[in-house]
Amino acid sequence: MAPVAALADDPAPMFSFGGFGTLGVVHSSQHSADFTSSSAEALGAGYTHDWSAAVQSIIGAQVAANLTPKLSAVLQVISQQNYDASFRPHVEWANLKYQFTPDFSLRVGRTALGLFFVADSRNIGFANPWVRPPIELYSMVSVTSSNGIDASYRLHMGAASDTFQVTVGRADYKYPVPNSNASGDAKIKNQISLVDTYERGFATLRLSYDRAHVTIPAFTPLFDAFSEFGPEGIGIADRYNINDRLINYYGISANYDPGAWFVMAEWGRVDSHSILGDTKGWYVSGGYRVGKVTPFVTYAQVRPDSNTFDPGLNLSNLPPYLAAPAAALNAALNATLSKVASQRTVSAGARWDVIKNVDLKLQLDHTNLGANSQGFLTNTQPGFRRGTGFDLINLTVDFVF
Amino acid sequence: MTTPAKLSLQSLALTLGLIGSAASADVVAVVSSKSTVTSLTVAQVADIFLGRMSRFPNGTPAVPVDLSDGSAERDEFYVKVAGKTPAQVKAYWSKIIFTGRGQPPKAVPNDFDVKKYVAANPDAIGYIEEKMVDDTVRVLR
Repeated sequence: MAPVAALADDPAPMFSFGGFGTLGVVHSSQHSADFTSSSAEALGAGYTHDWSAAVQSIIGAQVAANLTPKLSAVLQVISQQNYDASFRPHVEWANLKYQFTPDFSLRVGRTALGLFFVADSRNIGFANPWVRPPIELYSMVSVTSSNGIDASYRLHMGAASDTFQVTVGRADYKYPVPNSNASGDAKIKNQISLVDTYERGFATLRLSYDRAHVTIPAFTPLFDAFSEFGPEGIGIADRYNINDRLINYYGISANYDPGAWFVMAEWGRVDSHSILGDTKGWYVSGGYRVGKVTPFVTYAQVRPDSNTFDPGLNLSNLPPYLAAPAAALNAALNATLSKVASQRTVSAGARWDVIKNVDLKLQLDHTNLGANSQGFLTNTQPGFRRGTGFDLINLTVDFVF
Repeated sequence: MTTPAKLSLQSLALTLGLIGSAASADVVAVVSSKSTVTSLTVAQVADIFLGRMSRFPNGTPAVPVDLSDGSAERDEFYVKVAGKTPAQVKAYWSKIIFTGRGQPPKAVPNDFDVKKYVAANPDAIGYIEEKMVDDTVRVLR
């Protein structure tokens, strides 16, 4: 954030540079599966590493330029664990912003998606009270940026303000295939998000809606195979395929932060109308600031809101030479349906502001997996048992410069 | 013999006048004496310095000028107007900056520079020690 080339009479510096990062380790008591902080990470804590530095560590750099009093540009590059376990940097945001009036702006390029309360700052540990935002809600929409246009309008109403943001765009999302070096692609098109943020004093309320057409080509062969089985198979394919499927997200967030303490709560629902299932997630969190130390507790939960099992093709109507492949298709369908996350987590921890731009956090999590669910765990091993519980120990240092 | 009494009366008047103003006690919020703004609530001052409001209530643009990071008056100012400790202010701006939503106010090294900048700029708003106040700036009440 050190301004350079600043002239005395400039309203703001021409260029500003800054950066942020987190170095941290995560330990999981579940050694037969990996805990990761997002579905984009290939390897995690538990199975791959006893203590993993790859789950939470991240570094980002940003340059912003005020090209004219109304036109500005921002470029942010981040290095964090990718779908292929590398830390190859990627461009998180790159956009041009035109400030038509102090309360109305338009951005073009790659911009942040702000569906959740800290969605756009989820990578910036220093900006948040916890080691990570509760994954029960935040993993419901993994995409953090959108390539397109967004407009933001702020309305002042006495002591309150209301900011309405519309984002239209598309995005690509790469994810790792568990227990392999392979990866998959999700293509997100025609994405429209509407976010309304009402702020009054120490209180903030946010309503979010997002819709997008999503295609995950990895599922195409499965549903093509189902479609070979006539009307019954075509019906299953139509119900579950994820080829240009309309996915909706609805969310509500509330936050009250008078300074000495804070409480926040968020609730969200994803309707995928597909093999990815429908889910509902929420959390409530609170903290109390004692000098430079902020202890906090959080309770978070995610549940499927759609079936996690489907009887699939009726094998009794099929000749033996077709029953075997049909059974395999049914198994493949249910293997994915059963992965719709169900889990709940209690967290307790503390943030210690060591110096002005560095904090240290310790967070303990206890997660209970829903019946027959693996939750958000990945890379499950033969000895893994669904529906069990596990503990995490997280220790991180966050910094900004 | 009357001089000390007179002085203390003046300082008493000054202190009383500042109670309930935008930033009470030692640090006061100021605009240029050429500004049309005469009063702001504490919440409005906080909104301007935290980038949530870019105009004064009368519609003229508001350009906040900050003291550099690490100044004791800056730390006091943010505790008083926004209830935020230096670490919370830093965390707040980290969130705004690294989500591309804005930049913190321009910062200058000391009160003299704040006063000079505010005095010369009718849109500016700053904060200085109350003993620095002279007729080039107006204290917001």
